[in-house]
Amino acid sequence: MNKYLIEKIIFWIFRIMAFLVVGILFWILAFIAAEGMQVISWEFIFSMPKEGMTQGGIFPAIVGTICLMIGSMLFAFPIGVMSAIYLNEFLLPGKLKTFINLMTDNLAGIPSIVFGLFGMALFVNKLHLGDSILAGSLTLGLLVLPIIIRTTETALKSIDDTYRHASYAMGASKLYTIKNVVIPMAMPNIITGLILGMGRVSGETAPILFTVAAYFLPQLPDSIYDQVMALPYHLYVLATSGTDIESSRPMAYGTALVLIFIVLICNLTANFIRSIKN
Amino acid sequence: MRIIDKEIQEIKNEISEMFDLVQHQLARSLHAIIYFNLESAKEVMLYEKRINSQELMIDKACEQFVVRFNPVAVDMRFAFATFKINSHLERLGDNAKGIARFVKELDKGFDPQLLERLHLSDMIEIGLQMTKMNLDAYLNDDSSTAKQVFELDHKIDIINHKATDIIADYMKENLEEIKPCLALISTIRKLERVGDLNLNIAEEIVFYVDAKVMKHSKEFKLKK
Amino acid sequence: MNAKITVTDLNFFYGNFQALKNISLRIPENQVTAFIGPSGCGKSTLLRLFNRMNDLIEDIKLQGEILIDGKDIYSKNTDLIQLRKNVGMVFQKPNPFAKTIFENVAYGLKVNGVTNKAEITMQVESALTRAALWDEVKDKLNKSALAISGGQQQRLCIARCLAVRPEIILMDEPASALDPISTSKIEELILDLKSKYTIIIVTHNMQQASRISDKTAFFYLGELIEYGETNQLFMAPKIERTQNYITGRFG
Repeated sequence: MNKYLIEKIIFWIFRIMAFLVVGILFWILAFIAAEGMQVISWEFIFSMPKEGMTQGGIFPAIVGTICLMIGSMLFAFPIGVMSAIYLNEFLLPGKLKTFINLMTDNLAGIPSIVFGLFGMALFVNKLHLGDSILAGSLTLGLLVLPIIIRTTETALKSIDDTYRHASYAMGASKLYTIKNVVIPMAMPNIITGLILGMGRVSGETAPILFTVAAYFLPQLPDSIYDQVMALPYHLYVLATSGTDIESSRPMAYGTALVLIFIVLICNLTANFIRSIKN
Repeated sequence: MRIIDKEIQEIKNEISEMFDLVQHQLARSLHAIIYFNLESAKEVMLYEKRINSQELMIDKACEQFVVRFNPVAVDMRFAFATFKINSHLERLGDNAKGIARFVKELDKGFDPQLLERLHLSDMIEIGLQMTKMNLDAYLNDDSSTAKQVFELDHKIDIINHKATDIIADYMKENLEEIKPCLALISTIRKLERVGDLNLNIAEEIVFYVDAKVMKHSKEFKLKK
Repeated sequence: MNAKITVTDLNFFYGNFQALKNISLRIPENQVTAFIGPSGCGKSTLLRLFNRMNDLIEDIKLQGEILIDGKDIYSKNTDLIQLRKNVGMVFQKPNPFAKTIFENVAYGLKVNGVTNKAEITMQVESALTRAALWDEVKDKLNKSALAISGGQQQRLCIARCLAVRPEIILMDEPASALDPISTSKIEELILDLKSKYTIIIVTHNMQQASRISDKTAFFYLGELIEYGETNQLFMAPKIERTQNYITGRFG
């Protein structure tokens, strides 16, 4: 009887912990929504900021974030997927593979502000790209690269060798097999990695601080060499600097809400893709 | 010991008992015929039922053995050989019964001298010997002993070779003894069958142990 | 008897480990040959040498000779693609690609350069018919191959293999992952196919080997212990070790 009781208590503790996690999430969402919902409107989303950012909208920041999401992926996705294919399909287990995996993990562990500093030094200054979408995308690309490599590698690893063997047994080459059997089967998981990566990129503040983010730029970018506003930085600006913090506070929350919404869409899409695959 | 080996041992035990019963039947019928002993004859008739039910039980055990174990190689040969040996043993018992029945139907015993000239007791002794050797060969998976049984069958053949002539001569001189003599001839035929059946059993044992089919083979017929 | 495959004095090593010792045998044409033996005895290893699937493993060494139709398949001039077209393989667990049924069967054809759509369609139907699967899937060729049952998937894999018209089919425990009814369908199929193909099947199932094979080879610890007519081997094996294995008295 005693054991049964203890077990029940422990399971209840676990249950509470799980709900706690969900609860915290909802608390954050509710809190942000409560404070920020009031400013959400067509104007807020689609118009430029004015009056020292106490009025108007955050459209340029939204566009900027989307540009950076796409831009960073244009660099990180091809490089990441190709690296992962090399690592999983061509490289045999051994010292080299262990080393590369270790370095990839280390890359993933570098603080994002260090990426920002590096990006500034290399892309903005050394390569003379200046504060631009290009510099920002490259910097963010570096940051998200190890994530893409990891998720793609996992996706490829999850494809059982028996499918590769079935293809080889019919005379197909390794490359043909990768293209026609492995990648198609791993695609849902690879895309999931891509989308989750994009979601991650959308919220990174430090790397864009010295490479692309503009404080106040009430216009849309013309080229990749332009600066842009971005949601995370804009949130920071609205909440701490700005001409009138108190009145722009609601807009800060509104910005946070939009940012969370973007990340949420990314996660739900990734989930959806995973579920239709099954 | 694997389960299959235990099962094989149990079936061998049952066959062993069958052999036992048959040997006793042969011994009793020997006693009945030589000494004109009605008691022995009656016992033979009694034990006949026992042999029949034992045969049925062994048949069933073999069937279940095949169904359960799907035997291959030596185990499969064991099953097939045992089926046939079982049947041969039952017929051996039948022959003993046949001999005993004659005793019941006669008024008096046979002329001991006649029986002496026919070497009747020798024939039955050899039959018993063959049966014993077969039992040993079967239990010990010993095909060389089984092959010795082939030799003994020759001996029976040699003995009863002359039997018909001896009895024919006797009948000419003892016309009133015709009926018992006919019974005697039948008895000798039955003893020939005992030899044949033991030969068949020995062949099955060689098949089981060596996977050699001795039936109808020239190898041992040549020895004649 | 025409020997389709001739193995002579074969020794095979994974690194320092010798997986096959002094193997010599001849596989007859248009018959089913079964390889039996306990796990790790080398039967699958030998099977995989016939279509050079072991090439995928690093650090292997092969001594001796394997001839198919009289030609050394490990010579420098061997066309690997042609070899694998000629020697097909079916695996233990059904492994259809995550494509449509049609695409699965067409895969091998495309690998081998067939591009004509009409040709492909015809060959796909032919292969599925030979694999006794056409009637069951003809209305759902565009459905995913993963949507059919395990037994059907395995027959699909056989169709996929047949589409490139091999002469030899290697089967590595093809029915061990299937239920009894699917297993017996596969066995029927194998018996059907043997008139046109040479089939080698690795199996753990003694009854299966005795049901469908013409010749059986028993391997133990990398050596070929006994090789002979299936009926003979299962009725009266010549080597005691063979008998101990097939009657289950091993170990």
